[in-house]
Amino acid sequence: MGTLARLGLAAVWLVSGALKISDPGQTYIAVQAFDVLPDGLVRPVAIAMPLVELALGLFLLAGFVTRWVSVLSVLLLAVLIAAIAQSWARGLSIDCGCFGGGGQIASDQTQYPQEIARDLGFALLGVWLIVRPRTWLSVDGWLGNSRAPADDDYVDIAEGNE
Amino acid sequence: MGGAERNARKRKQQQTAARSVAQARGVAGGDKKKVVAITVAVVVLAALVIGGVIWTTSSKDSTEGKVIGAQTGTSAPGVVEKRDGAVVTVGKPEAKKTIDVYADFLCPVCKQFEESFKGQIEEHVNNGTLQVRYHMLPMLNQRSDPPGYSLDSANASLAAADAGKFLAFHDALFKDQPEEGGRGFDKAQLIKLGQDVGISDPAFALKVNSGAYEQEIQDAYKKIAGDPSLQQDFGNGPGFGTPTVTANGQVVKLEQDWVQKVVS
Repeated sequence: MGTLARLGLAAVWLVSGALKISDPGQTYIAVQAFDVLPDGLVRPVAIAMPLVELALGLFLLAGFVTRWVSVLSVLLLAVLIAAIAQSWARGLSIDCGCFGGGGQIASDQTQYPQEIARDLGFALLGVWLIVRPRTWLSVDGWLGNSRAPADDDYVDIAEGNE
Repeated sequence: MGGAERNARKRKQQQTAARSVAQARGVAGGDKKKVVAITVAVVVLAALVIGGVIWTTSSKDSTEGKVIGAQTGTSAPGVVEKRDGAVVTVGKPEAKKTIDVYADFLCPVCKQFEESFKGQIEEHVNNGTLQVRYHMLPMLNQRSDPPGYSLDSANASLAAADAGKFLAFHDALFKDQPEEGGRGFDKAQLIKLGQDVGISDPAFALKVNSGAYEQEIQDAYKKIAGDPSLQQDFGNGPGFGTPTVTANGQVVKLEQDWVQKVVS
């Protein structure tokens, strides 16, 4: 379960990061559409966002410093959820651009509840990994003790080493 | 008895020693692994950040240094261009029908509109049945990075109209339209295009650089965006969007045969 959570969250970050970085113009428009950042910060955030997502995805995929990466993942998701919630509350008609795309759309095409629910789901995966960062096939496992987790109920005994 | 005891103690000592050596090795091995992991992580991160920033910057600046492709004019003899404020009228003066086209040089749907209907519009302009009043608007002025391409290009197109080259200039800008969210074309590139479509009057470059018609364009845009007769429902309730076409004071639905309907 933990391994699935790790690889699942890794896939989420890698896919969304890759889609965003492949279309920088659209990502810029998407960030701008949230209408929270001053003009000067839109481009830096539009550049950094996909890179952060890709980095988180790679670290999760490798299973390196899983707990910290999970904490960052949950924090980033919290920021994204807050950004979506504020545009919902303000009545903006936008697509979150969470997986590429994004920008202004017709008001009957907004999907705020679904977008937030989806991000909450991803955040839950992150929380699981914060509580139980030890998983199969991870760099953490290779580094810490050679013992692989026995099962889902494995408790993080390598805690003291960190 | 003494010998056996000594042997046992010795064995124990050896075991202890072996264990501590193994432990020491294990720790050293772990450290080495950690160094490897951290090094790999740092290298990957650095590559990602450097590569990502370079890629994104070059992608959004893809219009840098590009020469906008000049289109050869396709207007028939007798078709004239006349600028009146922020509106450019193209057609033969005797044409009975008139349409108004509201567009933005950065708007992708406007580019599609041009691709779909330019041929039909041009045909009727050239045979003298139709006049087109072009309103180039800075609706998406914030949508380029740096902002301002919509207004710069609209201004330059009016300056091109003064030299009788609006349509060629207009067609070239839509053909090579920059991507939303990226760098547009700067004034130097717009001036170069003007020269390439055959504008020799030095006043053109001056007008582009000074933004001679910016105020007129902004004023016109404000009026147009607030005009209830130009509003359509794009899904957010009535609002103004580009492209919008009107004929006889009515917004035209852009169906396949709308040009035919307007001229007949």
